[in-house]
Amino acid sequence: MTLQRSLPRRTILRGLGTTLALPFLDAMVPAFARQLSTGDTPNRMVFVYVPNGIVMNAWTPVTQQPITPLPAQLPRVLQPISAYRNDFSILSGLTHNGGRALGDGPGDHARAGASYLTGVHPKKTFGADIHAGISADQIAASHLATETRFGSLELGCEPGLLGGNCDSGYSCAYSNSISWRTPSSPMPVEGHPRAIFERLFGPDNYTTDPAERAKQQQYDQSVLDLVLGDARRLRQTLGSSDQHKLDEYLYSVRDIETRIASTEHETDIAPPDIDRPAPGLPNNFQQHVRLMFDLTTIALKADLTRVVTLMFGTELSNRVYREIGVSEAHHGLTHHRGDPGKIEKITQINRFHVEQLGYFIDRLRSSPEGDGSVLDHAMVVYGGGISDGNRHEHHDLPTLIAGRGNGHLTPGRHVVYPDETPMANLLLTMLHHLGIREESLGDSSGILKHLSDV
Amino acid sequence: MFLLIGTFVTLTVSAAYSAENETGAQTTSHVETLQAVVAPFLTEHCVVCHNTRFRTSNLDLQALAEDGSDGEQLEVWARVVGKLRGGQMPPPGRPRPSDHNLNTVTTTIENYLTDVGFHRRTDPGRVTARRLNRVEYNNTVRSLLGIHSSPADEFPLDDAGYGFDNIADVLSVSPLLMEKYIAAAKRLSYRAVLGEPLPEAPSLLARYMGKRSHDAIDALADGTILPYSIRGALYGDHLFPWNAEYEFRFRAANYRRSRRQLIASGLLAPEARDVPEPSVDAVLTEAEKLDRFMEEARQSQPPVPLVATLDGKVFREERIEGSNAFGYDRGEFITRLRVDAGIRHFRISYPETANLDDPRENILADGRRVLYVDYVDIVGPFDPEPNSPSGYDQIFVCRHRPGEHGEECAGEIVSTLARRAYRRPVTQSETGPLVALVRQAEANGDGFEEGVRLAIQAVLLSPHFLFRIEKDPSVNTVRALDDHELASRLSYFLWADMPDEHLFTLADEGRLSSPQTLKAEVQRMLADPKATNLATDFASQWLQLRGLTRVKPDPTRFPTVDDELLDAMLTETELFIEALIREDRSALDLIDAPFTFLNGPLARHYGIPGIDGETFQRVALEDPRRRGILSHGSVLTVSSYPTRTSPVLRGKWVLENLLGAPPPDPPPDIPALDDTDASTSGLTLREQMEIHRTNPSCAVCHSQIDPIGFGLEKYDATGAWRTHEADTPINDTGTLPDGTSFHGPAELKQALRARTDAFTRNLAEKLLTYALGRGLEFYDDDAVKTITDIAETDGYRWSAFINAVVDSEPFRLRRSEEYQP
Repeated sequence: MTLQRSLPRRTILRGLGTTLALPFLDAMVPAFARQLSTGDTPNRMVFVYVPNGIVMNAWTPVTQQPITPLPAQLPRVLQPISAYRNDFSILSGLTHNGGRALGDGPGDHARAGASYLTGVHPKKTFGADIHAGISADQIAASHLATETRFGSLELGCEPGLLGGNCDSGYSCAYSNSISWRTPSSPMPVEGHPRAIFERLFGPDNYTTDPAERAKQQQYDQSVLDLVLGDARRLRQTLGSSDQHKLDEYLYSVRDIETRIASTEHETDIAPPDIDRPAPGLPNNFQQHVRLMFDLTTIALKADLTRVVTLMFGTELSNRVYREIGVSEAHHGLTHHRGDPGKIEKITQINRFHVEQLGYFIDRLRSSPEGDGSVLDHAMVVYGGGISDGNRHEHHDLPTLIAGRGNGHLTPGRHVVYPDETPMANLLLTMLHHLGIREESLGDSSGILKHLSDV
Repeated sequence: MFLLIGTFVTLTVSAAYSAENETGAQTTSHVETLQAVVAPFLTEHCVVCHNTRFRTSNLDLQALAEDGSDGEQLEVWARVVGKLRGGQMPPPGRPRPSDHNLNTVTTTIENYLTDVGFHRRTDPGRVTARRLNRVEYNNTVRSLLGIHSSPADEFPLDDAGYGFDNIADVLSVSPLLMEKYIAAAKRLSYRAVLGEPLPEAPSLLARYMGKRSHDAIDALADGTILPYSIRGALYGDHLFPWNAEYEFRFRAANYRRSRRQLIASGLLAPEARDVPEPSVDAVLTEAEKLDRFMEEARQSQPPVPLVATLDGKVFREERIEGSNAFGYDRGEFITRLRVDAGIRHFRISYPETANLDDPRENILADGRRVLYVDYVDIVGPFDPEPNSPSGYDQIFVCRHRPGEHGEECAGEIVSTLARRAYRRPVTQSETGPLVALVRQAEANGDGFEEGVRLAIQAVLLSPHFLFRIEKDPSVNTVRALDDHELASRLSYFLWADMPDEHLFTLADEGRLSSPQTLKAEVQRMLADPKATNLATDFASQWLQLRGLTRVKPDPTRFPTVDDELLDAMLTETELFIEALIREDRSALDLIDAPFTFLNGPLARHYGIPGIDGETFQRVALEDPRRRGILSHGSVLTVSSYPTRTSPVLRGKWVLENLLGAPPPDPPPDIPALDDTDASTSGLTLREQMEIHRTNPSCAVCHSQIDPIGFGLEKYDATGAWRTHEADTPINDTGTLPDGTSFHGPAELKQALRARTDAFTRNLAEKLLTYALGRGLEFYDDDAVKTITDIAETDGYRWSAFINAVVDSEPFRLRRSEEYQP
């Protein structure tokens, strides 16, 4: 597995810093990279998460039948992606029972985030004993970690909320992340484009002389061996809750070691002409999101990873979308209690979000791969753990799935599933389409049919 | 863990029942009293919030109240009696039971618990292995290696718990964070040994540009966008890597219409011109026309002073003349000055704008500013000093120069480094592998320094560095922390930093834990500049001020509130709290101390006359309306929405952060405000909220929360004073449910200050939580009470609180994981 060191970084950087459109991606991936023929093309799993719910009567196409083509006139929130109607489907009726109170009182936002990719009902606590489940993307990552440089990427456009009690007695950990490596280890999101870039393509003092690289890796390995030894010896002397902390540490070090080992054999590296990308966070939401999408596209295309989650915002996000003329904070607006003015503003925000999704679909569509495009070999789910934000509902979740998933998906349709069909069924099915034959996930009850018309 | 205690005790109960009829009879009678006396008490005072529907603080007493007693619920009873005895429950604002009633109830519960054998030994609790958080990591590597940089700024955000981001159980290590640690360890180790590599020639190091408006979407390919300043200032922090000269190149604008244009538009009376009109048939060359144009522009209005400072010291002063061309004809101002390496604050601004009564005078009709600094480039290094890293001597303790290191030094250097990094004495088995790394580099021909660099890299990644480890005592015992563990707890509590040499020495000599020494150390540490941490880290989290970086007041409603003003608000509060702590005032002064810190713009925002200029100065406050934290723009803005105030948010803020009595969260199925019932247009915010409270199931909580917010309604959503909402005068009176009434914020503050017990107890809990790095459990109630009692004997001074925290059992002792109290 080679690493795309020969990418002309300046081209990327110009894209990152100023304009929003990346130059033609195909030029970036050298021909010798991966031989991606049809049979060989990997499938990808991408989750794009939007918080605080969506105005459902402006999202769900009106229909009488369980399976119909997408209507000619899409509902208002979906209109910005009308041009891509043949690339996505809408799934209605999926539910996360784990997001409901089930006797735990308020806290729907925390539960929505924590249950979205895990299908479990998280433990109500704002202290140390957080407990959810292993999320679908991390299950995939653990299987694919040997095949790609990064098992997965967790990206997010909003830094986590601070303060221990974010939602009615639930820890902020539940609403800040949708990705869980273990039931008690949520994965932090990376939000800085430059930092993501450097993770993917190496830091700026990267050397190319093979002998020098080999020696550096040898040193790095010695250092890691030393600290691993320290950690193992230390662990033996500790009580069990301290051991748990050390276990997180040990797992993380070993994860890095594996990655270092897998890049040891790369020798064909073009000289990097690196300028460091723009520091800090981009000034506005659209810019930020599109940069994240650009980086995701490159990462998928170069097969650096096949699993990506991207949160437009944390649950309970109170971002103000002044750029579309909305001065009030997002979460506050979603408790509209029927006020048409507020509903209109939320609809505008929902549309704005979908517009950004359109940018991503276009990026993937325009990236040739094998006998099609990256989009043909990907499953991109867009949605969130809350449907009606005003009432905090967890059934009939807004779910859009784009791409052809290596033939496993037939886009262009609206599929209505029976009430209370677990969303976890979709997650399980997607894992199967990645070749990961788990038996269940969270509260799944089986495979989700009708994703393709085969 | 508690299940264990509960089960253990339940077994004891059953044993007691079978073995001792007498005890059994006694217990039964207590159970009857519980049912007769305590259950109704619970129903009247507690279940209103602590029921199955609300589950406030995760406590449901409904079953207990209905049923009377339950052998499994001993821990719950202990929690209940702890809160009742401490006066924390019922919470402020709720009707208080009579002292007699309270006494009967608490005594009954306590007798019951004693009889069933639920008697607690001292339980100091234990803190799990505690990872350094971002702030601590930055401070620690700076102190350890003497390097100026903030690598942790790129780490993922720390998870927070119990209101703080230094809670051991909540902080975790993920592969992403480990990647960052590894990259940082490498960079830091290179810098520590070799310094930042000197480039061959000076270059553009950084470009900073100011936002051009509230909502400007600016992007710089290779630079940083700085906060928006209506007054046209440009300010920020920059890391200067070397001792060298650097050039500051900036452009400054002063757009003024020429005098002729002003006269032509009728804004200025015609006067004798200074530039003689040419005769009608004179022919001017292009150059002459240009000269004439420039001369007119220069004479249009007086030039405006501009000042550029670095860390407060002026490095350039200019008078910027008016120019129609926004200053682009003027070129850049270039200043070269010598700067010592480190993170330094630069500011380029027009000082007179601080005294504009309305900063919008600086904005033209098209939204552009008249006076503004466009950007600053930092170029360098010029004439750098020979590159010697600042912390070199701290590491290379043998004092040999590069190239002259002796072999025998490896051991000494490594053990000094490890001892300081791990914050305790180190053993041969720990230093051995590190020395081996040094030898490995030497064997490779890379030299001694590279070997030491490797050792530094390893030390920075070791769990002994990244975690603060305190070993558990043997099973079921309690032990005192040793001096080194105590030193770390002290330094991270007061400074969020590793112990300094003085603390290390005391710990090495075993003298730290003696009471006099400890007190003296606390005093020394509080006087140290690093104690600012208590204001900027502890207090800012306690009072939720970090939210200030996220707020976005609507510019159409609050056009004079720019990013610079929000920064000023934060500065005011941080300086205020720091002063309270350093002057060792009573903690209650937080509510109404008769002073604050203001600069010209902030004073004008508050409507306080007589304060001018950009720099902050201490201001005595005659008017009680602006006294105390509840009048600070920071708090008032953080507890508002972008477009309006929220009495609910403000009430919640006060209850949660000052009185330690957070209101219950709203239940999931709140009935919608019936819009047909009362039209909400035309009503003031207060009147709209009163409708809330006519519904009894809402009023139960909102009668606690809303009055406080109403009392603060005359501060708008950005903290400015107002007397009217649209055309209606604002009514800022209120009555708390326990009968206290107030008119306006000054009286509200008095009422809050009178709740001394609640305020001081809350502060003690917050300080203890932050100091320990764990949430408090019911067994900490005694410690909290002791802290407040001690503080009371010394006028509730900050030093009294801090000393009491340091002396407390949870801070000094530690128990094993499995512990039966």
